[in-house]
Amino acid sequence: MGLENPSASSLTTEMCQFTILKGAAPVLAPRLGRLVLAGRKPISTPHFVPLTSRGTVAHLSHDVMRDQTSIASLYCGLEDFIEKDGPAVYKVPCTAQESPLRKFICMPDEITLVLGPRRAPPVPCPVPSTNNSVSILTSVGFRQLPASEWVDAVQKLRPDIVVGMADLATGTAAPGVKRRGKMVDRTHAYTRDATERLQRESSSPTATTTTTTTYFAPVLPLENTEQTIYLADLESELRPAIAGLALYESASLGVLPPALGDLPRLVFSEPATPHEVLRDISLGADLLTLPFVGALSDAGIALDFVFPSPSSSSASPSTSSTSLPLARDLWSDTYTTDVSPLSESCNCYTCRNHHRAYLHHLLAAKEMLAWTLLQIHNHAVVDAFFAAVRASIERETFESDIHSFARMYEPDFPDKTGQGPRYFSFHSSSSSSSSSFDISDYAGTKSSPQAQTRRNATQKRTVV
Amino acid sequence: MSTAPSTRKRMPSALTFELHAKCSTTKARASTLTLPHGAVPLPIFMPVATQASLKGLTPDQLKQTGCMLCLNNTYHLGLKPGQAVLDEVGGAHKLQGWDRNILTDSGGFQMVSLLKLAKVTEEGVRFLSPHDGTPMLLTPEHSISLQNSIGSDIIMQLDDVIATTSPDHARIEEATERSVRWLDRCIDAHKYPERQNLFCIIQGGLDLELRRKCCEEMVARDTPGIAIGGLSGGEAKEQFCQVVDTCTGLLPEEKPRYVMGVGYPEDLIVATALGADMFDCVWPTRTARFGNAVTAAGSLNLRQASFADDFGPIEEGCTCASCRPREQGGLGITRAYIHHVTAKETVGAHLLTIHNVHYLLTLMGSARQAILEDRFPAFLRKFFNDLYGGDSSKFPTWAVGALRGVGVDLLSS
Ligand SMILES: [Zn+2]
Ligand SMILES: [Zn+2]
Repeated sequence: MGLENPSASSLTTEMCQFTILKGAAPVLAPRLGRLVLAGRKPISTPHFVPLTSRGTVAHLSHDVMRDQTSIASLYCGLEDFIEKDGPAVYKVPCTAQESPLRKFICMPDEITLVLGPRRAPPVPCPVPSTNNSVSILTSVGFRQLPASEWVDAVQKLRPDIVVGMADLATGTAAPGVKRRGKMVDRTHAYTRDATERLQRESSSPTATTTTTTTYFAPVLPLENTEQTIYLADLESELRPAIAGLALYESASLGVLPPALGDLPRLVFSEPATPHEVLRDISLGADLLTLPFVGALSDAGIALDFVFPSPSSSSASPSTSSTSLPLARDLWSDTYTTDVSPLSESCNCYTCRNHHRAYLHHLLAAKEMLAWTLLQIHNHAVVDAFFAAVRASIERETFESDIHSFARMYEPDFPDKTGQGPRYFSFHSSSSSSSSSFDISDYAGTKSSPQAQTRRNATQKRTVV
Repeated sequence: MSTAPSTRKRMPSALTFELHAKCSTTKARASTLTLPHGAVPLPIFMPVATQASLKGLTPDQLKQTGCMLCLNNTYHLGLKPGQAVLDEVGGAHKLQGWDRNILTDSGGFQMVSLLKLAKVTEEGVRFLSPHDGTPMLLTPEHSISLQNSIGSDIIMQLDDVIATTSPDHARIEEATERSVRWLDRCIDAHKYPERQNLFCIIQGGLDLELRRKCCEEMVARDTPGIAIGGLSGGEAKEQFCQVVDTCTGLLPEEKPRYVMGVGYPEDLIVATALGADMFDCVWPTRTARFGNAVTAAGSLNLRQASFADDFGPIEEGCTCASCRPREQGGLGITRAYIHHVTAKETVGAHLLTIHNVHYLLTLMGSARQAILEDRFPAFLRKFFNDLYGGDSSKFPTWAVGALRGVGVDLLSS
């Protein structure tokens, strides 16, 4: 692969340092990096940023996250916090150095907090964005988030990384030419105004606090030719104000100008499988968000893959004609009395202390602990996967390892068969079902615990 | 009523009960109950992990609340995962990865309360399968067999449960006598008395004479522990206290006493003063789901708008993992954050469950310490003062009356 020269490039702003440790080319090549944010645990890239719902990784209470996972960064959507007038998140008593967002969600200092206007993945909104606002969905319904309010929020909440506002046209059919032009113009304007304000107000002598936020500028999920002017501006005039890029599809990794190659790339491409994650990494993704992790936990499915292949003990290479499943559906009756760990190769809290039979029981009994234990395990499997990917890039065997992995494992996850906890959360937590979300669904689940109790009460019990 | 005690087989015990102190005023006791999976300080609150899991908490989180003994429900585990799975997996401890103690009920109460069509005969409880509607029968032998498969450290006899508020006195009498006959069948059916402790359940409704007779019959059976059943069924609190007081007066001192299904903090504290040692209730964990925090000052519904901007801990000074500040190794969870996630994220329920279970365990621990130091009457006064904001006119009359009966007048300063 011809990777060489550590610290080929090092991008430093006051608060954020991204060092590329290994990479063959500025764009369209896998690379190893290290993201250091002041006061936070450094993050080795490629890595994934776990997703939150209302400030928490679904089903993982703060002690479980701290003690039983190695989660070091979190993605939050502002729309999860601003359903009321005068939201509480803005009222947290803080010192000048503290982040009100961090204090509000009660997260420790070492966790890197990434904030975007919307959750990931976002629920499509029926109303399009405007020249100075985007549509969002809070727990009380849809509304517009003005770009100025967004910048206010960033200044108040002081996340470590801010994902800039973009007009993404979610949910609508493929946008037409006119719509695409608007997306670019608006996103360009949001970015220019936000970075200008953040720069000006942090350097103003009257500023009470220094801006500690690192701005990741959005790159639109469009052709390079459609956003040429915007990208050129990112390269030149806006360049000093941005510290990273936010991408919304794999193809965007191919539209980046090499001049922006030293910036860390956070990718929201919603990969459906680890194969697609590998594709994005091979194209130069540094940080990824993976909605499938939580969605599979909710569905009762435990990940079971190792990169590039499980240790020779469990799978003999001679059986290469049949590929291994990427995950197992613990709703299946085959696990009723199976006391082996969720995955033979996993050493997470769940696998050390529990077995498939218990998970199967918890799912059948609709016990919340099922989702907690699955979240611990699924995050651990993905964490180990990324560590192995980094080792592979380091070894310079990444390309061949991707092929081994593709041969070793099935192309897709098993189909979902069981019911998840969807009715508990007003936001659909799985990407696959987000398209079926509608407001009536939300209205029906507003009083969710009672609704859940009612539902449980009316559900037919099954005797095993 | 039944076989003469002399003809019954001698019952082994898999526990030791060490009585450390008795309150010099009330009937409260401090003791240690050592079960196959460790020592349990009494008096104790036992959280209810109905289906082999406590409302989303991992076994380690439950341990961190200080819990040494929790409940599983036989009726639920009999349905899911079922006896065959329990046998194959090796019991409930192995199923749920819990290496401390478990107590199971007999399944009878759940059946009668959850299934409208359950009918009690001398043979057992007849009911229609919730699965396919076929007629089924839960006998004392079957209940014990299920609990033997579960492997719980304390198992309960099947009893003939009817509402204490039932007006049918003949039926109450029949149920009481039948419970004694069923106890004998349970003793005979119990396969592992050397590692599982069978508790009898005193019945008799609100009829104190019946309760006395039942105590006498059951104490003669010499089970390792004794439960007072048939309460928490909507009877007046005064009557509840009378029954507990009457029974504890007749029970041997050297055995643990368990009052079933009782769980508001003031009920626990008053029953402790009346000489009971063990309590269980689903309320503290169930109420967490709806955003209710149990505190010394009463129950707070954190879903109320007034808590949206309250950045204090769930309860000031609480040492649970949720409330403890981060500098002290805790999570520093605020009321505002619970308000933000309650009823929207399962995490809200988990964080409050940690607090609520910890609160009740700590409350009983403080009561125990007060008994050991013979200052339990002062503890009672402080408890009721804190709960009602120092306003003694709000103290419930049943509690004032019951405590007066054991020598503590809450209203005299
Ligand atoms: Zn695992
Ligand atoms: Zn607490």
